[in-house]
Amino acid sequence: MLAGKGFKKVFNVAGGIKAWRAKTAIGPQDLGMDLFSGKEEPLDVLKVAYSLEQGLYEFYISMGKEAKNEKVKDLFSKLSEIEVKHQMSIYTAYNDINDEELRKGEFEKMVETKALEGGLSTREYLDLFSPDLNSEIDVISLAMSIEAQALDLYQRLSSKVENPQSRDIINQIANEEKAHLASLGKLLDSL
Amino acid sequence: MKWRQFLTPAKSIDFNQTESYISQHSGEEITILDVRQPSEYQESHIPGSTLIPLPQLSDRLDELDPEKSTLVY
Repeated sequence: MLAGKGFKKVFNVAGGIKAWRAKTAIGPQDLGMDLFSGKEEPLDVLKVAYSLEQGLYEFYISMGKEAKNEKVKDLFSKLSEIEVKHQMSIYTAYNDINDEELRKGEFEKMVETKALEGGLSTREYLDLFSPDLNSEIDVISLAMSIEAQALDLYQRLSSKVENPQSRDIINQIANEEKAHLASLGKLLDSL
Repeated sequence: MKWRQFLTPAKSIDFNQTESYISQHSGEEITILDVRQPSEYQESHIPGSTLIPLPQLSDRLDELDPEKSTLVY
């Protein structure tokens, strides 16, 4: 149907979702979309994205406290550090386009932590994935599930947001999530 | 009658090719189109997929960009 309607490159994914062996996302198409109205200016997008990263950072920190295994504790610590790096790049992007440079503390005061990356709460993630918090593989797998969910959310948002610059920012963050997902996959393979 | 003109077969790609294609292209360059029912999408979908159930596809083609590569499942 698509090829006959002028779509230039159409591929059929053989086997569909059953053949898909990488991480999937779950939930309806509007999951997490309430975080954005679609009217956000670029600065607003960055504030919401920062809050999502903050939610995940806090999640990894709290999981690290619960874990008994030292390797897993270390892993949660590394995962939380990655979120801090994401936050720094969002904060830098904010100052790049803001008229005046805000100190990090001032910026954070404007940000309200609403949900984890991907639009689900901590409890919802734990209920969904029930990870063994003593298993590195389970923890990386959980992190990959969250990143897949985040990638999914940002890509769905990208089509909702009207401002082109806001859309570019969301696409850029989505691409970072994709790279993060790939690096977690490599880490999992190395265990 | 040349029946071939009515058939517009899309190339099939397997999991490895799909994963590789998605990883090599940014989200702005491709559309991952899920044509299953909403309940199936809700249960599990490829991250970044756009859901347009097959019965609605012909009426909603304008929501898609024909210039982008489209991966359908």
